[in-house]
Amino acid sequence: MRARTRKRGWGILLAVVIVLGAGAVVLLSGLLDPHYETSDVDGPEGNDAQLLARGKYLAQAGDCMACHTAKDGPLYAGGVPIETPFGTIYGTNITPDKQHGIGEWTSADFYRALHDGLAPEHPLYPAMPYTTYRGIPREDSDALYAYLRTVPPIAVPDKPTEVPFPFNMRFLMRGWNPLFLKDELPDVSQGESQQWLRGRYLTNSLGHCTECHTPRGVFGQLKLGSTFEGGELGELNSPDITPEGLARRGWTPEHLQRFLALGLSPLGSAYGDMYEAFHFSTRHLSQEDNQAMVAYLTGDQPQPPQALPEPPQEQEEAQAGLTTGRSVYLAVCAGCHAVNGEGKPGATVALKGNSTVRNADAHNLVHVILHGLEARSFPEGDRQSMPGFADELTDEQIARLANHLRTRWGGQKGDVQPGDVGALR
Amino acid sequence: MTLRTIPVSLTINGSKVGPIEVPEGLMMIDFLHEYANLTGTKLGCGQGVCHACAVILDKEDGSSTTVRSCITGVGFFADRSIRTVEGHAEEAGGAGAAKPSPVQQAFLEHYSFQCGYCTPGFVNAATVLVERLKREPIERNRVEQVVTESLNEHICRCTGYVRYYTAVRDLILATPGLTRENADAS
Repeated sequence: MRARTRKRGWGILLAVVIVLGAGAVVLLSGLLDPHYETSDVDGPEGNDAQLLARGKYLAQAGDCMACHTAKDGPLYAGGVPIETPFGTIYGTNITPDKQHGIGEWTSADFYRALHDGLAPEHPLYPAMPYTTYRGIPREDSDALYAYLRTVPPIAVPDKPTEVPFPFNMRFLMRGWNPLFLKDELPDVSQGESQQWLRGRYLTNSLGHCTECHTPRGVFGQLKLGSTFEGGELGELNSPDITPEGLARRGWTPEHLQRFLALGLSPLGSAYGDMYEAFHFSTRHLSQEDNQAMVAYLTGDQPQPPQALPEPPQEQEEAQAGLTTGRSVYLAVCAGCHAVNGEGKPGATVALKGNSTVRNADAHNLVHVILHGLEARSFPEGDRQSMPGFADELTDEQIARLANHLRTRWGGQKGDVQPGDVGALR
Repeated sequence: MTLRTIPVSLTINGSKVGPIEVPEGLMMIDFLHEYANLTGTKLGCGQGVCHACAVILDKEDGSSTTVRSCITGVGFFADRSIRTVEGHAEEAGGAGAAKPSPVQQAFLEHYSFQCGYCTPGFVNAATVLVERLKREPIERNRVEQVVTESLNEHICRCTGYVRYYTAVRDLILATPGLTRENADAS
């Protein structure tokens, strides 16, 4: 009796394994992949000037350049390395070159790549943000497709991905997608106005802000429960851009509008990967779209910005040398950022009230002190390069400097330890 | 309102200076001009770009580097040793005619400068390079590249750099001990 029960139990388990296995094979084989029809833009209507202008604007709003145009390389010919925990993936050639680009794709192929992460030849990795582009409607996909067919075809082969086993088995993405590909992303702000709805599309779908500003899980998926709370982004951390996080650091809608349009605001300049996002994408947004994106980020009823607390009374004695945080600041920072931390127009940003100084996470502040920043151009004037001080200052001195800045001009605790600095060297 | 002050002592061109009470936010170039009566260091851009104001910081390990005095506070130099453009020529026995250093002599012979405003910075950077090569000679075929790397950040608006670079290159190639034969030379 017992033997028979056990035998039946094994039989059921075997049947379940076979069914699951067969299901997995069918799923991973691509038999269940969605298919779409081609549209008018595959024909002569794809040459409509208005459509092409809209496609170009959408390509800017979608920041296709950031990954698909290498530094000093031809437009949309790919080659930008994207470092991921799973290996390096290179932005691909999306010019209309028939051999190396997407010249043989139909508008249906293009939509499927944006919407489902499935290129004609193989599944894409989510380094291509189809997880957010999924919200792009077919008509906008068609405009993008039509525009991309008009850029000069460049015969440059894609760089092969450097993704080791087992992640190099692209068909596994067909298993990833049902788990992590969502039709809608969570909203972090409240709103219902037309402006807010437009902003949601620009932010959550086209602008794919969440791809950098949301932390990721072990499978590389977005942790949507922590949407916009900031993530790790290579060497720098992307800051919290929830309405609460922005207000905590002093951002107002006006500051955000300036920042997205001009790359500069009283709270600091765009740096790191955000400079690219500003330069290639957000500065091209129309005024209406700029305001819509900000309306979505702050909500229809923006929170008042948190005032910068009065700094504590200066306790530190004036000293020569590099002993206190204040003396380090005066020795190597004040020459450019001014003694009172207000920066110098046309040269440096203010540190007093700076969004990075006000960030509870000191990672970026310490990283910039250690490694410096490149010179950058902005429509209202350039910001010069900042040298790194890794060779000049000890971990202890940098920790004291960071704490001096945080407590005086950031409203933050002076809790940076020398070990935190050492970890970022 | 009173300015907070700091007491500063340092060595400039081999001479002890201080302690002097100076405003804590004073930039080094102002200290040189106003407190040390050394006006040879020139203020160019005032924001660390042109390198006209570069002075030499001599480190404890025997190496040296240039530091931009317009954006570096005087406190940075406390108890340290620096050299300015005034410290290179040798005094010639009180006759008033100083003997230029080899770098200065090379610049004169090559007509490297016209207005001379950027020259103190070039003298200091080139001197740091020559001294480094005394400790760590390089292959002769790398000299041109290393000169460019060492002087690249110094901006000159008159002569277009060529005569500065040629002067330093020729000096290095003509000075025994700064270079060694090329690795691939047989």
